Amino acid sequence: MSSSSHHTTRVFEPKPSQPAPVTAAGPIAWLRNNLFAGPLNSITTLVIVAFFLWAIPPLLDWLLWSADFSGTTQQDCTSSGACWVFIQAWSQQLFYGSFPDTEIWRINLTLVLLALVLSSPYWLPHHLRNRLDLALLVIFPFVAIAILDGRILGLEYVSTDFWGGFSLNLLLASASIILGMPLGFLWALGRRSNMPMARSISVILIEFFRGVPVLALFFMGSVMLPLFFPEGTNVDKLLRVWIVLTLFMAGYMAEVYRGGFQAIPNGQYEASAALGLSYWQTTLLVILPQVIKVSMPNILATSIMLFKNTTFLLIIGIFEVLSTAQTALTNSNWLGGYATEAYLFVGVVYWICCFGMSRVAANIEKKLDTSHQS
Amino acid sequence: MTEVNNRPEQEAQDDVIVISDLNKWYGDFHVLKDINLTVKKGERIVICGPSGSGKSTMIRCINRLEEFQRGSLVVDGIEMIDDVKNIEAIRRDVGMVFQHFNLFPHLTILENLTLGPIWVQKKPKDEAEAIAMKYLERVKIANQASKYPGQLSGGQQQRVAIARSLCMSPQIMLFDEPTSALDPEMVKEVLDVMIELAEEGMTMLCVTHEMGFAKKVADRVIFMDGGEIVEQNTPDTFFANPETDRLQLFLSQILEH
Ligand SMILES: Nc1ncnc2c1ncn2[C@@H]1O[C@H](COP(=O)(O)OP(=O)(O)OP(=O)(O)O)[C@@H](O)[C@H]1O
Ligand SMILES: [Mg+2]
Repeated sequence: MSSSSHHTTRVFEPKPSQPAPVTAAGPIAWLRNNLFAGPLNSITTLVIVAFFLWAIPPLLDWLLWSADFSGTTQQDCTSSGACWVFIQAWSQQLFYGSFPDTEIWRINLTLVLLALVLSSPYWLPHHLRNRLDLALLVIFPFVAIAILDGRILGLEYVSTDFWGGFSLNLLLASASIILGMPLGFLWALGRRSNMPMARSISVILIEFFRGVPVLALFFMGSVMLPLFFPEGTNVDKLLRVWIVLTLFMAGYMAEVYRGGFQAIPNGQYEASAALGLSYWQTTLLVILPQVIKVSMPNILATSIMLFKNTTFLLIIGIFEVLSTAQTALTNSNWLGGYATEAYLFVGVVYWICCFGMSRVAANIEKKLDTSHQS
Repeated sequence: MTEVNNRPEQEAQDDVIVISDLNKWYGDFHVLKDINLTVKKGERIVICGPSGSGKSTMIRCINRLEEFQRGSLVVDGIEMIDDVKNIEAIRRDVGMVFQHFNLFPHLTILENLTLGPIWVQKKPKDEAEAIAMKYLERVKIANQASKYPGQLSGGQQQRVAIARSLCMSPQIMLFDEPTSALDPEMVKEVLDVMIELAEEGMTMLCVTHEMGFAKKVADRVIFMDGGEIVEQNTPDTFFANPETDRLQLFLSQILEH
């Protein structure tokens, strides 16, 4: 072939992966290669092992061996270890807030619905997937509000004053993430738009909600948002928080998408144009899926950040999980310093959720990866 | 040579592309200078010329991937003006194959082919899939329909890209160096598909340096240099008796390899 083929783009051809060479396998070899590869490496290993030997037994002792698990009151915590009775006694508060006992099934129902909606790509029949997924996601927050509030559905009315606990963190975070993602996409599109108006509005929104600390946003939300509502309407505090979190999420997501957009080669737009696809068809059918795919790690990081930021709500007096824990700590029946238990518990629950989120995201990433043989 | 030439009274109607005095600038840089080109229905045209001579820019004007500043362009009787309706109508008639394939990596081969028919032509999914399978058979790749582009070789991807364009039943096909990103052993499989297409009477404009292909299928070969059409002729005359020095130089450069 003539050398006029100046552009030599080589196409990546995957080959089947091969098993590791035999010499490098086996536990002994692994130990030698990874833990005792040299003098410095061996010393480091020994120091770390010594530290674990010194730290772990007392820790386990406090956490488990000498801890109190059974009982209902402070008087049942007699040993030197952790007082898990405290967590047990407050578990309903920590998870469901002050929601009436008889209505707690409504929170559970909402959480089950959330799980169903999030997992819909896995169980929806293939031909419905692309059409229903997004719709299910976007209506979820409103269905959740209807169920929890109850009035529309003819259930007992539960004012948002009684909503709280970890379930509130979960639901607020999901509702904000779910609406913030598409909103952020619109802002990111606006920023790329040729229309000066759309561009400047988007830039202002994005930079504002990314630049101002979330706490300041919460305070502004309580003071400023009511100005946008008709005079005299009393806007629910949680609703305001939800709006603020959604806008905050949208600002961050817009920036995440911006990076994603930059990764899409121009050829994708050209091929779409040549096929006759319109701007919106190109954006939604060709560009969006690829932007989401390349942005997946950042989308996850931003979602986790938002989820963790919901604990800031304790400062503006919303009974999310951390402020519930603080209430429990100052309860006159439980004075005596169970702060370690309380914060450890909240920390672990948070960690489990975030870890779960990153596992799910890794799974989605794998599912979206179409670049090689699967 | 073509059927068209036997009926001269219909010639004007059979001009599917009429480019007159087309000029384009990138800032101060004059990329296309007074381009005049008329293409008849069923005509196969090969365009060659040195790098940067404006070949891509010219054929990309035909489906409005590039705008131009002066002159006129009529495709299949539709004047290219700054109007979405006209642009859409022209793009419906014109298919394009790119150097780097530009398949949609997140869609399967079949979905790549049905995207246009379903969303642009509003065809029902079954019908779109039937058409897609027909063209995949033609480019001999039907057994890969459910794979993703990343799992195919370059030659296979380019054949899919051709099939994707054909699914929109275009009147005109544009090719911009369709084989120059391919490994040598894959060039032939793509050229074979293009030759077959030419033999079926598709109107084709093809930027390529595959001179064998030009000799075999072209009705006319066009030489561009510095943003101008310097010379055009039937392949026989074009290669045997180049009129200008610039073409002689160009041919000697590409043929000596
Ligand atoms: N977006 C752009 N802005 C400025 N100059 C451009 C742009 N695109 C192309 N050019 C210039 O226009 C000239 C013609 O480009 P074009 O891509 O049409 O050349 P070509 O004949 O297709 O060359 P090649 O064989 O390398 O593909 C080149 O000099 C190129 O540098
Ligand atoms: Mg080019």
